[in-house]
Amino acid sequence: MPAGSAIPQHLLEPETLAGLANLDLVARAVVNGFLTGMHRSPFFGFSQEFAEYRAYAEGDDPRFVDWNVFARTDRTYIKRYIGETNTRLVILLDASASMGYGSGKVSKLLYGKFLAATLAYLAARQHDAVGLIVFDDKIREHRRASTRGGRLSGVLHAIDRAQPGTGTDMRIPFERFHEVEHGRGLVAVISDFYCDPDALLKSVQPLAYQGQDVILFQLLDPQELKPVLKESALIEDMESGQTMEVSPIYMSSKYRDRIGEHIEALHKSAMRAGADHRLVNITEPLDSVLRSYLLFRQRRG
Amino acid sequence: MSLLAPAFLLGLLAIGLPWWLHRLSSTNPNKQKFSSLMFLEPGEPRRVLAKQVQYLLLLALRIGVLALLALAFTEPAIWRTPQAAGDADGARLHLIVLDGSASMNYGDRWDSARAAANDVLDDLRGEDRAQIVLAGRQFEVLGPATTDVAALRQTLNTAEPGVFRLEYGQLMRSIDGLIRTAELPVVLDLVTDAQATGLPTRFGELAPRRPAEIVIHDVTDGAAENWTVDSFGASAVTGELSASVRSFAPDAATRTVTLTQNGRTVGEQTVDVPGHGRADVSFPALQLASGSNRVEVALSPGDDLTGDDRRYLAIKRPEPRKVLIVAADADGRGPLFTSAALETLTTLALTPTVRASPLGDPPLLDYSFVVVTDVGQLDNAQAAAIKEYVENGGRALVATGPRSSSLTTLPITGQTLRTNPQMGSGQASVAIGEVDATHPALRGVDELRAANFVRSVNVEKTEADSVLMSLADGTPLLLDRALGNGRVLLFTSSLDREWNDLPVQPAFVPLMAGIANYLLGGAGFTSEAALGSTLSVRALGFAGAQIFDPSGDAALGLGAGSDDVLLDQVGFYEVVGGGTSELVAVNFDPRESDLAPVDATTLERWKGLGVRPGESATPVTVTSSTDRVPTSLGPLLVMLLLMLVVVESLVGNWHLRIRRGVAA
Repeated sequence: MPAGSAIPQHLLEPETLAGLANLDLVARAVVNGFLTGMHRSPFFGFSQEFAEYRAYAEGDDPRFVDWNVFARTDRTYIKRYIGETNTRLVILLDASASMGYGSGKVSKLLYGKFLAATLAYLAARQHDAVGLIVFDDKIREHRRASTRGGRLSGVLHAIDRAQPGTGTDMRIPFERFHEVEHGRGLVAVISDFYCDPDALLKSVQPLAYQGQDVILFQLLDPQELKPVLKESALIEDMESGQTMEVSPIYMSSKYRDRIGEHIEALHKSAMRAGADHRLVNITEPLDSVLRSYLLFRQRRG
Repeated sequence: MSLLAPAFLLGLLAIGLPWWLHRLSSTNPNKQKFSSLMFLEPGEPRRVLAKQVQYLLLLALRIGVLALLALAFTEPAIWRTPQAAGDADGARLHLIVLDGSASMNYGDRWDSARAAANDVLDDLRGEDRAQIVLAGRQFEVLGPATTDVAALRQTLNTAEPGVFRLEYGQLMRSIDGLIRTAELPVVLDLVTDAQATGLPTRFGELAPRRPAEIVIHDVTDGAAENWTVDSFGASAVTGELSASVRSFAPDAATRTVTLTQNGRTVGEQTVDVPGHGRADVSFPALQLASGSNRVEVALSPGDDLTGDDRRYLAIKRPEPRKVLIVAADADGRGPLFTSAALETLTTLALTPTVRASPLGDPPLLDYSFVVVTDVGQLDNAQAAAIKEYVENGGRALVATGPRSSSLTTLPITGQTLRTNPQMGSGQASVAIGEVDATHPALRGVDELRAANFVRSVNVEKTEADSVLMSLADGTPLLLDRALGNGRVLLFTSSLDREWNDLPVQPAFVPLMAGIANYLLGGAGFTSEAALGSTLSVRALGFAGAQIFDPSGDAALGLGAGSDDVLLDQVGFYEVVGGGTSELVAVNFDPRESDLAPVDATTLERWKGLGVRPGESATPVTVTSSTDRVPTSLGPLLVMLLLMLVVVESLVGNWHLRIRRGVAA
């Protein structure tokens, strides 16, 4: 699919994307489709290099009207820019066993891979350096941030190879990041964050002190947010293999409270660490997540 | 293989229980993967019926245990051929059962029995063993089973017949234990005179419970003739002695019956006894010596069975006893008839005294019993005195009469009286209806129904009353009631001729004799016990006593641990203690006198109940095939069952350890 071609919005649904075999294709489809629909969005123009003028159209943000031209010609033109590399994005992708869960066609890991690929593609398109760390309870893949040609392809392949592993240790990727990556940049962490919020805070905080802008994408399946059990079931932990008899009443009441409290605690921990936290239901289209990212980037940029 | 109790196979249904239990699982089949148990809490484990059974090995063991248990109850057995069951050389155990009953004393039957037993011993082959058993009242095993013929012959020579009766059904039941424990196939050599009276009521009782060949050695030699005294007794009224002579011979014969008292001949009569018939002989009342008298009758000439030619009776002369007759009119007919009847009972030695009142001297306790001729004559004090006397152990005969007509409640006993609507007119008379002839007071009293009754009082019968005699219209005539420690006989008519003509009927004196005998305690004045029964010192009223058997030996000494003595001899047993002595006569069982043998057909059928001679090496059951024998698999199954239970316990424990997380 050529870059810049228009893609209908429903094609950005995760389940539709799951039908695309190539992760590069997925990333292009998402980003191009997203950018095509951004004519009326506030995010275009976060680069400072002038690109072109275009006649003002209804719906364009008036802030981008070149008033000097208007004064001279009495016509309204929109001033457009092209992006330039001014930052660095490192994606931390959780590939633990729990990320393999998915009640539908798309698992959390697959969604995470789509998101990671999309972020990487978007960053590369804007000439940002892109790095990647895939982890579970150890580092499985590590691509240092770079803008060299073919770097995106390497990152996308690394993302593509990610498979559900074993347990999760959130300290590992942050420590690796802290050891290797120096200088200011963006850090996108994609995980389900089944961890202690305080422990996560301790891991994220050093990055914030380092001047990194951190955004946490917490991917959760609808069944994890609002589980529905018709009868009591023997629940098996995908990471530890332990089982537990759980009643449907508990899952429909107390569990929801506890997962809600956990999300809230994560959110607060992220805030305290100076990071952004975005809860992602893996059934929601990727463009809305991408929009969150761009808002975050704009805010931090 | 066959099952002797196949109904127990229903127990196999119990297998369904472990099958169901092993499907019951606490593991929820609805298993789902989930990201994390971080926010989950365990709920109540649910027991569900799984589609597949669990712990197959354990289930198989449990089903095996139940199946074996059910199978063990069905008594499985395999049928094996004689060669398989028996020993190789065909050795057998000969159980030589000698009929030791009284009839074997006849003539030379016992010698014939020994000869027959010796013949069996002569015929023993190779490793054959033999065991001698003497069967009479008791089943006496004379030594162990052995191949030592000399020892067996010695045992045989010491065996003697007894005086008891042998019942063949009992014999076959008793011998079952010996057959069951025998290590060799059993041949039952029954040496007997095959008395017909020894056969059981049910022919099936002659079958051995265990397989055994039955060989009957009949020791009778032609027709046996016998005469016996089959009964001997004394009248409680007159003291007259009567004996019955019975013939078990085809031809009539003349026999002399000799009566002896304390060893002295006091009478002798000659009687003609018809063939297979009976002749009665009687002797006048004896002049009894003080205490117990040994009275016996004997037949002469004797016959080949001497034991039944003599019969014994112990007669005790009673001490004079006083009887009080309470009558308002001492010269009235009631006391007259009553005292006259009582005075004629010489065997009871009664001395009646007629008084108008029970109060006065001598006191009531001096009298053996009291007769009230018309209870209506008593005032309250007199009635209370008699009641107290009875409640303290006294006995009374209470009659009604004209003075009782207006009573509604009977003095002494307090029984309610009702007017008799059918009587009282003095015109219609009623005879005696039902009579309880089994009651001691009425036993042997005949011709009562000749009496006519025109009036009686109608006593409301209660549960405490036994009606011994009633009129034809159902009105109770003679009632028996316990009162305190004593007893009251209530005669609801009069003892004079006002209301009936009983006092002038011949039955009146025997009736009064029976009543007097009953009121005196029912002990009678003769004493006899059955052969084979036990004699209890306490039952005779002795606190401690010695018992001497007919041969004069002490059967029970003073201070012996037991109070009972088995009466195993014929003659007089003497009980001595407390300064007095009692005699108990023990007589030959009359059934042993009848020497008629079992007919040949019955004997053959009896033999047929055992194993056929050709198959004698192999014990078989009577009720099944005669060519194979069952061998129970029960012990094998029980062993297997125990092994399975142990293995099941180990496997079950292993599963439990796994479930508890214990390292195996």
